[in-house]
Amino acid sequence: MAGKIAALASRLDKLYEFDREPVSPDKLQSGGKFAGLFAGEHVAATEFVIGAFFVLHGVTAKDLITGLLLGNLLAVLSWTFVCAPIAVRTRLTLYWYLRKIAGPGLTVIYNIANAVLYCILAGAMIAVSATAVGLAFHIKSPSLSAVFPNSLGWVLITFCIGAAFTALAILGFEKLSKFAEVCSPWIFIVFIAGALAVLPSLGVRSDFANVWEVAKTKVWNGIAAPGQDQFGFWHILFFAWFCNLAMHIGLSDLAIFRYAKKWTYGLYTAFGMYPGHMLAWICSGIMVVAVGRQMNPGLMAFEAAGFAGVAGLLLAGWTTANPTLYRAGLALQAITPNWPRWKITLAAGTLTTVISCFPVVFMKLLDYVAIYGLVLMPIGAVVFAEHWVLPLFSMEQYRAEKYGWMVNWRALAVWIGTLVICFFLPIHLYFRWLPGYFIALVSYVLLQAIKKNHR
Amino acid sequence: MQRIIYGTLSLVSLALCLIFPIVHFMGKIKADRFKSGFLFASLAWFIFATLWATRPKKSSKT
Repeated sequence: MAGKIAALASRLDKLYEFDREPVSPDKLQSGGKFAGLFAGEHVAATEFVIGAFFVLHGVTAKDLITGLLLGNLLAVLSWTFVCAPIAVRTRLTLYWYLRKIAGPGLTVIYNIANAVLYCILAGAMIAVSATAVGLAFHIKSPSLSAVFPNSLGWVLITFCIGAAFTALAILGFEKLSKFAEVCSPWIFIVFIAGALAVLPSLGVRSDFANVWEVAKTKVWNGIAAPGQDQFGFWHILFFAWFCNLAMHIGLSDLAIFRYAKKWTYGLYTAFGMYPGHMLAWICSGIMVVAVGRQMNPGLMAFEAAGFAGVAGLLLAGWTTANPTLYRAGLALQAITPNWPRWKITLAAGTLTTVISCFPVVFMKLLDYVAIYGLVLMPIGAVVFAEHWVLPLFSMEQYRAEKYGWMVNWRALAVWIGTLVICFFLPIHLYFRWLPGYFIALVSYVLLQAIKKNHR
Repeated sequence: MQRIIYGTLSLVSLALCLIFPIVHFMGKIKADRFKSGFLFASLAWFIFATLWATRPKKSSKT
């Protein structure tokens, strides 16, 4: 078993070899590049679903605005004070830094978990895009409570879109990424245009005089749709905060911030949070009301902005699914010996396509986003503790690397233990990660304090 | 030079994408006019922005 893990770890090391060394000073990037990167990265197809779900969960307009303002601020501060400082001190990706802390074996497990979570996320993107294509073929969008596909047509459409996305990912990730850069400013405009275009149908006057009144009474009126939980200020605040939990608190974005000149570059994430995770969510909330509160992103986009809206939804799905498939493929490469790049992407794409057939991946998207962040969060806590807390107590750092441990069992125990505790915490799913983070942090430090000489 | 021209045209197209819904919101054009205008402005954006992105940057000599 240990031999197998060692072989997997060695294969994974080779894949990430190109970024093994810390970033050199001449490779550091300007702040403007970070602003552009984050602005483009946070306008995805799923924004159509998230903002719409806030309406269906009966949020009031005041709770939505204040929750989004503060929740996104907390997300920006998490990037700035948690992720970026570690990145500029180490100049390493999470992969290599975790390897020093948790050992190569645990890094493999983390990578596989990440790959599966990526596939589910990309599956949600495909399912959202399928609602757009389904319109052309008069295929009914699944209902809010749907778990399984509701028709053969839905299955066929998700398979076709999944196959198309996978084929494009196989044909060339680099060139497609460049095209995705062209798409991102326009996709953002689709949200704005769509919301603006439907405002008159909701009764908003052209001088905007009654816009707040319409927002309070017709859009975010505080009435939840049947079967949906009632959301308030705290739900919105926490959702906006944890939406990218794996990236900031979970430290995945070490890969990006290792190119930052200063840790304060974390503040540039505001360029992604406020236009993408605030304005786009508000816009999709307006659009769902215009289609009678039906959770059908394709119909929302079509009614609001016509064929360009449908194209926007498809491109938003594809531009996000494409790098997600690539990352999943890269992570899976460790367990697929000597497979060429196309074969790995095909495997990841097939898994993703099968997942996308199940409408539950986007009908329960908010819960999935919460679970995604929660699952990876304890690893972020372990790395944070190792980087900042252990030196405070004069405890030895990087013992996995120093003593050649395959798996840092303390880190693994903290990861599993935290998730088990979080599962049983008697609070809403959205709030569980925060106590979980401190549980992971404290328990890792305590376990490290019980020092045994493992060699 | 070509890069500057394509860059300017792509920005104009993007601005048009925003102008059409504003004009529709103000009640000056109907929904179908807005949708077709938005579609054509979007196509223009993709053409010019792709041309702009694929032109090589002018290298500066010091």
